[in-house]
Amino acid sequence: MEKIILNKLPVPTFGWLKVNSAERDAAAFGTGKEREVLLADGSRAELSGGRSVFEVTAAENEKTSAVIYISGSEGKELTTNVKAAAGAEVKLVQVYENSGPAIGSVNADIAENAAFELVQLYIGGKDTVSGIYADLAGRNSRFKADIGYLLDGDEKLDINLVASHAGKKSQSEISVKGMMRGSSEKTFRGTIDFLNGSSGAKGAENEEVLLLDETVRNKTVPLILCAEEDVEGSHGASIGRIDEAQIFYMQSRGIPVDKIYELTARSRIAQVVSKISDKDTADRVNAILTGGEEDG
Amino acid sequence: MKEEKTQVADIDRSLYDFRYEEDERDYLGSGITADIIKEISDEKGDADWMREFRLKSMEIYNKTPMVEWGPSIEGLDIDNIVTYIRTKSRMNTDWNDVPDDIKNTFEKLGIPQAERESLAGVGAQYDSELVYHNVRKEVAESGVVYTDLESAMHDERYAEMIHTHFMKLVPPTDHKFAALHGAVWSGGSFVYVPKGVRLEIPLQSYFRLNAKGAGQFEHTLIILEEDSYLHFIEGCSAPKYYEAGLHAGCVELYVGKNATLRYSTIENWSKNMYNLNTKRALVDEGGKIEWVSGSFGSHVSYLYPMSILNGRGARAEFTGITFAGEGQNLDTGAKIVHNAPDTSSYMNTKSISKSGGISTFRSAVTVNEKAAGSKSAVSCESLMLDRISRSDTIPVMDIRTDKADVGHEAKIGRISDETVFYLMSRGLSEEEAKAMIVRGFADNVSKELPLEYAVEMNNLIGLEMKGSIG
Amino acid sequence: MSQLLEIKDLTAGVEEKELLHSVSLTVGAGETHVLMGPNGAGKSTLGSVIMGSPEYAVSGGRLFFEGEDITDDSADKRAKRGIFLSFQNPVEIAGVTLSEFLRNALEQVTGKHLKLWDFKKKLRSCMEILGMDASYADRDLNVGFSGGEKKKAEILQLLVLEPKLAILDETDSGLDVDAVKTVSAGIDEYKKRTGGSLIVITHNTKILEALRVDKTHILAAGQIAAEGGAELVDEVITNGFEKYIKGGK
Repeated sequence: MEKIILNKLPVPTFGWLKVNSAERDAAAFGTGKEREVLLADGSRAELSGGRSVFEVTAAENEKTSAVIYISGSEGKELTTNVKAAAGAEVKLVQVYENSGPAIGSVNADIAENAAFELVQLYIGGKDTVSGIYADLAGRNSRFKADIGYLLDGDEKLDINLVASHAGKKSQSEISVKGMMRGSSEKTFRGTIDFLNGSSGAKGAENEEVLLLDETVRNKTVPLILCAEEDVEGSHGASIGRIDEAQIFYMQSRGIPVDKIYELTARSRIAQVVSKISDKDTADRVNAILTGGEEDG
Repeated sequence: MKEEKTQVADIDRSLYDFRYEEDERDYLGSGITADIIKEISDEKGDADWMREFRLKSMEIYNKTPMVEWGPSIEGLDIDNIVTYIRTKSRMNTDWNDVPDDIKNTFEKLGIPQAERESLAGVGAQYDSELVYHNVRKEVAESGVVYTDLESAMHDERYAEMIHTHFMKLVPPTDHKFAALHGAVWSGGSFVYVPKGVRLEIPLQSYFRLNAKGAGQFEHTLIILEEDSYLHFIEGCSAPKYYEAGLHAGCVELYVGKNATLRYSTIENWSKNMYNLNTKRALVDEGGKIEWVSGSFGSHVSYLYPMSILNGRGARAEFTGITFAGEGQNLDTGAKIVHNAPDTSSYMNTKSISKSGGISTFRSAVTVNEKAAGSKSAVSCESLMLDRISRSDTIPVMDIRTDKADVGHEAKIGRISDETVFYLMSRGLSEEEAKAMIVRGFADNVSKELPLEYAVEMNNLIGLEMKGSIG
Repeated sequence: MSQLLEIKDLTAGVEEKELLHSVSLTVGAGETHVLMGPNGAGKSTLGSVIMGSPEYAVSGGRLFFEGEDITDDSADKRAKRGIFLSFQNPVEIAGVTLSEFLRNALEQVTGKHLKLWDFKKKLRSCMEILGMDASYADRDLNVGFSGGEKKKAEILQLLVLEPKLAILDETDSGLDVDAVKTVSAGIDEYKKRTGGSLIVITHNTKILEALRVDKTHILAAGQIAAEGGAELVDEVITNGFEKYIKGGK
C-alpha cells in the first residue's frame, strides 16, 4: 500500500486538527501510464479512468477555453497544466461527477496581463482530492476561481487551493459555494500568498457552505500569508448561516425554514453552474442537479 | 466536577494518541535528571503526589518531540534545558548584568526603581505587599481566596481542591513544554471565588510580583464557583527580564455555572525570551470566559488561550492584539472547542508587523456533534507597516453538526497614505501619525482594559513604533 | 510686503498625468478668496498640493508661505506654519476619538502642552457654535458620520486649531440648507476670532452668501482661466463656466 501525501497546507498548523495534508493510498486512484492530451480552444474532454495529463495553453494575447468532464466509478488521476502567456485569457471548466475516487490537480502559470478563470463543480465523488495552484507570476496577472460542491452520502472532498502572488498588481478572486448532506466530509484549504515584491496585489477568498444533515463534517482552512506591505487581502467563511433578512423574506412568501436552506444552497451552486459557457456541459450538470428534486 | 474531568480527558486522549502515532523520533536528551526534580521538590516541601507528578512529567517531557509547526526554537538550548531552571540558589541576577535597553525601557515607561529591580529578577523584594494590603482586606471580606499557589497547596483548606484540579485541564501530555512545566513549575497564584460572590475590583498578579519563585514557570489556578464574577489581570507593560530566557507558564481557569471570568493580560517579555505559554479555560453551563490579551514582547511566542465550552449556553470571548517588531516571531491566537449545545464564541484579534517582525495568527474553532445551536464569529485584522515584515493568518474551522452558525473574516493591509496625510495636515509628524493610527487599531484591546493598563499599553505602542524598546 | 501665500508657476500632477499647469496665485493676510471651476478642473488638487499631499508630485514652480519657501515641506510642517485644509471626504480613523485627536493636533500646532480641562472647555464652546452634540467628542473620528457630520467636524477642527490660512474644499457640497447656515456661521466665527485668510473651493455658491469675497479665481483644465473680484462669482452663477472651458487652453 503506497501512501502518498497530497494537498499539503503551505504552512502547517496544530497537528491534532489533521488538516495539514491528505494522505491516500496511491493505488486506488488510477494506475497505468499517463495519457497526455493537448486541449485546443473549445475542446471538451471526458475522463473516466486511468491517469491523464491535460495541457491547456494560450499564446500571447490569445484566448482559450476548455471543458474537462470527469465521470465514472473507476479510480483516476488527472493533472491539468495551464499556461497563459502575456495578455492571454484561459478559461477552464472542470466537472467532477465521478462516483469513484479521483485525484486532480490544476497547475497554472499566469504571465503579465494574463487571466485564468477556473470553474469547478463537484457533484459526485466518492473520494476526490483536488489541488489548485495558481502562480500569478506576471505583473497584473489575474486568477478567478468559482467552485461549487454538493456532497451527499459518504462522499469525501478534499481541496487545496493556493493563489501565489509574485507579480505586482496581481489579483485573485476565489469563491467557493457548497452544500453538504448525509455523512459527507469536506476539507477546503484556500491560501492567498503575497510574496515579497507583489506590491499592489489584491486577493479575496470567500467560502459559503450550508450543512443540511447533522452527520456532516466540514473543515475550512482559509489562509492568508503576507510578506509585502502594499497589498490588500481578505477572506471570509460563512458556515451554516443564511442572512436573517433573507430567511424572513422567504418565510413571508410562504417557504418553510428547512426548505429555505435547501433552496438557498441550490441557488448558490446554480450561480457557479451559470459560469459554464458550454451549453451541453451546463445542461448535463443541471440534469444531475435537478434530478433529485420532488417538486418541479 | 468529576464529569468535567472525564470530558477533558476525552479531548486530551486524542491529542495524546495522535502524538504517539506520529512519534518516530528518538527522544531528545533533556539534561534534566530526576535529581534536579527531587531537589526542587525538596526545596518546596512537596506532598508525595506532587513529587510523583513532577517525576512523571519529566518522563513525559523526555519522550515528547517538539511540534512540527510554528516558529523555530533553535535558539533555545534544549539539550541543556536544566540551565533555564533556576532553583533558589541560582536566582539572584545582578542589577549590573541587566541589559541597558531593558533599563532604558523602564526609564521611558516611568517605572519606580524598586519595581525595576523586581521586574528584572534582581533578588530584591519589592514591597508590592503595601499596594496589595489595602486590596487584600476587601478581598478577604468577600470570601475570595487569593494567595500564592505553593502556600495554598500546604494549606489544609485548599490542598484537596488543588489536588483535584492541578494540571487536569492542561495535563503534562498536552505538549512538550506543558510536561516541562509539570516537572519544574514554581510559584504562581491560586484564586478561589465562592458561590455567588462577585468581586468588582480586579485582582492583579502584579501584586504578587515577587512571590516565591521566579515567574518563568509559574502556575496560575483560578476556580470560580456558580454565579460568581472575577476580573483577573496578569502581567504589565514593563518588560519582564529573565536572564534565562524561557517562560513556560501555565494558566488553568475553571468557570462554574453562570459565572463570569475576565482574564486580561499584557505580556511584554524581554526580547531574548522564548514564551511558550499554555492557558486554558473550562466553562460550565451558562458560564462565560472573557480573554483580553496584549502580546508585545519576547523573541518567540507560542500562545493560544483555549476555551472549552462544556455546558449548555457557555460562552467565550477573545479580544487580542499582537505586535511583532524587530527580531520577534510571535505566533499567537486562540482555540475554542464547542462541546455543548447553544454555546457561542466570539474572537476579535488584531496584529501588527514591523521592522522585520513576524506575526502569525493561528486559531482553531471546533464545533462538535454535541454542540447543536452553537454560534461562532471570528474577525482578525492584520496591519503591515513595511515590506520587510511578515504576517500570516492560519485559522481552522472544524464543524461536525449542521445546526451551527459559524462565520470568519480576515483582512490584511497597510496604513493608508490618505489617513497619514490627513493626520499630518493637522500637524502630526509622519511618525506620530502612524503611532496614533496603530494605537487606534489596537483599541479593541485597550478599551477592554482598566484605564491605567490602557495608558500603559498605549505608551508601549508608542515606544514600539519608535523602535526603542529593549 | 510679502503676501501670506504665494504660488508661482506651479505645475503638479500624478504619475500618469499633469493636473496643474503653471498656476500662479497670491493670497494676502485676512483675505477671502474663492476658487471656482468646472468638475475636473483641478481645484481639489490645488488645495491638496498647497497642503502637501504626497499623492501629487510638484514638477515645476514654488510655493511660499509668509515669505518662506515651503515647496519641500511635509504636510505636518505646513500645518505648524498655520495652513489648514478642510477635506472634501475626510477619512475615518477607528479607535481615535475626535477629542483625543484634536487635543493632539492642537498641541502640535501650538507647540504647547494644553491642560485637559482648558482644552475641553475650548472644544465645547466650538461645538456649541456649530450646534454639535457634545457626544461627538467621544466618538471615533468620523467613523459612521454622515457626509454633513463629517463636514461639520472639519469646521470644528478649523475653529479649534485657528490656522492662518484655511482651505475649504467643497465644504458646502452635500449639505442641506440648515447645515450650510451652521457651517457658514462657523467660518464666520473663525474669521472674527483670527482674521485668518480663506480659500473657498466650491462650484456652487451658497456658502459664499455670508462671506465678503476679496478675489475670485476660475480654474479650468488645470489653469487659471480668469481672475476678478466678487462680481466674478455672480457672473459665473449667471453664465456658468462655458466660456472658460472653450476659451481656456
